[in-house]
Amino acid sequence: MAEFVKYIDVTKCDGCRACMVACKNWNDLPAEHTDFLGSVQSHTKTTADTWNVLQYIEHENSKGGLEYLFRHSSCFHCTDAACQKVCPESAISYTDFGSVVIDQDKCVGCGYCVQNCPFEVISLKEYKDKNGETYRKSHKCTMCTDRLEEGLQPACVTTCHTGAMEFGKKDEMIRKAEKRVSEIRGRFPNTMVYNPPGVGGTHTVYVLAERPSVYGLPENPKVPTSAVVWKDYAQPIGKMMLGATTMAVVAGFVSNKLFNKGGHGHGEEGGEDYE
Amino acid sequence: MKMSVVSKEYQELNKEIFALQEGWKSMLAPEAVQVKIESNTIVLGIPMVSFMSFDLNIPLYLQWIEELQTLLVKNQENLAGKMGSVNEVMNEEITLRWFEEAISVNQPYFASFASENGIDEWIPQFLAETALRPYLQLAAEKAQPYITAKKAGSGCPVCGEPARFAQLEEEGKKVVHCPRCLAHWNEKRLTCSHCGNENHETINFITIEGDATGQIQVCDECHGYTKVIDSRQFIAKQSPALLDLNTLHLDFVAQENEYSPVGEKKLAN
Repeated sequence: MAEFVKYIDVTKCDGCRACMVACKNWNDLPAEHTDFLGSVQSHTKTTADTWNVLQYIEHENSKGGLEYLFRHSSCFHCTDAACQKVCPESAISYTDFGSVVIDQDKCVGCGYCVQNCPFEVISLKEYKDKNGETYRKSHKCTMCTDRLEEGLQPACVTTCHTGAMEFGKKDEMIRKAEKRVSEIRGRFPNTMVYNPPGVGGTHTVYVLAERPSVYGLPENPKVPTSAVVWKDYAQPIGKMMLGATTMAVVAGFVSNKLFNKGGHGHGEEGGEDYE
Repeated sequence: MKMSVVSKEYQELNKEIFALQEGWKSMLAPEAVQVKIESNTIVLGIPMVSFMSFDLNIPLYLQWIEELQTLLVKNQENLAGKMGSVNEVMNEEITLRWFEEAISVNQPYFASFASENGIDEWIPQFLAETALRPYLQLAAEKAQPYITAKKAGSGCPVCGEPARFAQLEEEGKKVVHCPRCLAHWNEKRLTCSHCGNENHETINFITIEGDATGQIQVCDECHGYTKVIDSRQFIAKQSPALLDLNTLHLDFVAQENEYSPVGEKKLAN
């Protein structure tokens, strides 16, 4: 199956927040009480009930002019996702579309994914069970995988009225992003395609008007070394060692049985000798 | 989330049939359909197909029918016996008659043909219609540049099929598509495709919970309905014929609510 990406051209965004509403609507996410942040921005960052947040950034450009920058922020759906690597319950997985999804039935709310996401887009939500016990689950944007499975684009994309968001085949979208960057470089000298290689590329590809740090994004995000060590080395070695240990125990048990059989015979013989 | 009530197997069968039709159409020479457009044809609401001449290639048409039979039997083996009896009665005269009666959707003719020859009622018309469509689609391709205006209530300007399927395309433009010949034409968002009613108080929409793309536009003047599919939400463009099939549940809902795919005014005419 062809890989798909969500392409976001922030220079076309007018900050209408329809993408936020569409996401809440499609995913049945409740409204949240938020405090005034000193700007139009409603949330500091994504939360367990708000999977995408429109950022409003006042930025002084290189000519001393004010730029009012907008960015639709949500999960990047990394090709090499740190959250997937650190999840001890294998609750986070990749879909055929390239999106990264959390299996709520498997999630134990440990929060490792929250701590290791380089983009800080995963959040924990607390619930109470019927006995009043508190438990937690991780939540984030699913790229509307349920819609993708039915041949539909993500809800945020279909509602974008300025055409700032598009959804399509990866190569085609990346070519479009690169073309757009070459078109707007005169207006935004620091413009770039944000598709960080440190996480194997992402399935949400941006055309940014400014450097990533202006938007609060890491310049060169990477999968944390601890996650790589854990998932790619420690876990396989651990599993291998567990297998080896099991084999050793089984082999020991079998040989011990045989040995005991012989030993028992010796004992009998020995007894006879003593007698 | 489930977008269609039609089973995956039936969808796949129809995809195979549409692929066959696409291939068949490419076998047709451009001159197989001669389009003669009279200046007032569309304004009067007469289907253009009435003024077209078809150069029917009988052996090819029969070959298509056989290919279709093979496909149907492959999907449902118990059809083998039923299909076999059709080939026994086909000759040049009957083939020509089938072609003409299929154009005019003459259901009584096909029903009596089936009864006379001891064939299941659905088989003759299904075969004739399916093999006819490449000709109709070629005709619609040729006629498309001439579809600039349309008389309300006349159905598809090319083949006369009831106008009951529309898509919302770029920038919300409502385009009515004919799933039969694939002709298409623009229409105002708040207009009944059957009677031309533009009164917003008598045009309503029925939406289905959980159906993100489909709605039914119903008219309380003529009691006609049109399925309106927001195709802007699709990742890839889909054929109107397949979309029409996949949105079958909308037809059920509309008809259960006593709306008709043709509209009462048309029936009265």
